[in-house]
Amino acid sequence: MIEKIEVPALARVEGEGGLYIKLKNGQAEEIRVDIYEPPRFFEGFLQGRFLQEVPDITARICGICPVAYQMSSVQALESALGITISDQTRLLRRLMYCGEYIESHALHIYLLQAPDLLGKESALELAAVAPEVVRNALRLKKIGNDLLKAIGGRSVHPVNACVGGFYRWPDVEPIQALLPELEWGLEASLETVRWAVTLPYPDLELDYEFVALHRPDEYAVYDGEVWSSKRKAVSVDEFDKVYLEEHVRHSNALHSRTIDGNPYLVGPLARLNLNHEQLSPLAQKALKESNIKLPLCNPYKSLIARAIELVDAYETAIQLVKNYQPTGKAYVPLALKAGVGAGASEAPRGLLFHRYAVDAQGLVLRARIVPPTAQNLPRMEEDLKSLVPQIVQLPHAEATLTAEHLVRAYDPCISCATHFLKLKIEED
Amino acid sequence: MEATIVVIGIGQSLRGDDAAGLMAVRLWQKKFPETASRPEVRAETLELPGLGLLDYLDGMQAAILVDAIRSSDPPGSLRRFTLRQAIAFTSEARSAHGWGVAETLQLGIALNPSIKQCRLILFGVSGHQFQMGAALSPEVEMALPRAAESVEREVLRFLKRFKNKS
Repeated sequence: MIEKIEVPALARVEGEGGLYIKLKNGQAEEIRVDIYEPPRFFEGFLQGRFLQEVPDITARICGICPVAYQMSSVQALESALGITISDQTRLLRRLMYCGEYIESHALHIYLLQAPDLLGKESALELAAVAPEVVRNALRLKKIGNDLLKAIGGRSVHPVNACVGGFYRWPDVEPIQALLPELEWGLEASLETVRWAVTLPYPDLELDYEFVALHRPDEYAVYDGEVWSSKRKAVSVDEFDKVYLEEHVRHSNALHSRTIDGNPYLVGPLARLNLNHEQLSPLAQKALKESNIKLPLCNPYKSLIARAIELVDAYETAIQLVKNYQPTGKAYVPLALKAGVGAGASEAPRGLLFHRYAVDAQGLVLRARIVPPTAQNLPRMEEDLKSLVPQIVQLPHAEATLTAEHLVRAYDPCISCATHFLKLKIEED
Repeated sequence: MEATIVVIGIGQSLRGDDAAGLMAVRLWQKKFPETASRPEVRAETLELPGLGLLDYLDGMQAAILVDAIRSSDPPGSLRRFTLRQAIAFTSEARSAHGWGVAETLQLGIALNPSIKQCRLILFGVSGHQFQMGAALSPEVEMALPRAAESVEREVLRFLKRFKNKS
């Protein structure tokens, strides 16, 4: 018996993804997560651009995580120029990142993955039976967008972050005016964790190599050292000596593997497993009360990791907002020189690495961007391979849904589209 | 006076014809500054608004949306849809946003009575080149003045209707 599950193209947005599973005698013969999204297109047209344009150009790679692209790029370029930013700048960037985690995680938890776990086809169906849940989800998400707007002028593709700091300090009043909503969000995020652990997750325990940034003093999001659960830590500058990209025929996105050829996992599970001791106090408490055993190795349970990170993001944001009182200049003036620099931060979907070479006039000579979804693609395919023995006996619709759900649990950049997959089974 | 009518251009400026909605609304603001600057009227150009679109509709009496669409019409064709027609669009319409306009409106109607009551008109500009880095196609560029004039007519119609009511 040969069975083929095929999703020729995702039916929305850039049409950049598809899923193909070919089974033979109940075993996976071929598995591909096809991605047509071309982030490296950006690397080409960054060449010759002035370095200060880079954060706003790279932000356009993603509508959900533009801050991640800005944060990794400014750090890489500041490293190339030998600039040290002020503590105030770092904290404001961290706050901006909280906004992005809030909007991205709230969206994914409630509107993209929860419908799978609750047996609903979409968030619309979920809204029909549980309008209050979806209303709260939208409110949770909006608070993140409002935070981004208060700091960066607009909620999608915010502007203001620049190489050296910020173009100007955002006004204190609109940021502090968000405190009541942030406090509501913190309570709602704690409730989200309590609810998340009650959901019925498919059984799938896998042996992952987790890779994430790490800091001893805080839950690493903005910066840190590159940690792995299976190898020694390296600096961000050494990242691309250990984690290598390769081209595979079925994907326009490069695939990443470790130097010894293994797939690895970036994202919320990796962060939680490597960095749970650095979570904010209430996030740690929520983790403890949920009785979750770490390391968490079920990809479907990334939702729980996101819920705990949502608590961390709200609690961290509240502290940063309360302490926000900027003084002095918002940026370090640029002293241009030729150089090469790397930067990395933790996008909601995982580690995002940038490297740039610039000339003495500040023009970009070379750009390299390694997005989290591309790093996770080989891992996603391995996960699907492990899933096959479990789904091969299921009715086709259920098997398809379980496979799709696995892809969605990764929250890839194509996750909105994967909610509208159409599948075709071929047998001969 | 608070705005009661919102004109929203939706799209992505880096994806060829997907910028049609943004460009049409900007052109409308330029060609009809008197209407566009009235206190009852607010104009927005939103790139990838996703679910955030609902925040711009909340509390509005009327909304006029302009977005690029894929259809069997020739490129540059302009179509007018009511809210009921707009939500019938499927994701296969491939509007180039993370959370499609149709799904977002459906969700808004399900959750927020104020959005259900909003009189919404969507102008769809048929495009044919949506790839990253593409320019606006000549057909869509030529359609922009017509789209701007249609927006103007619609805004004036709503202003008149609300004035008569008050």
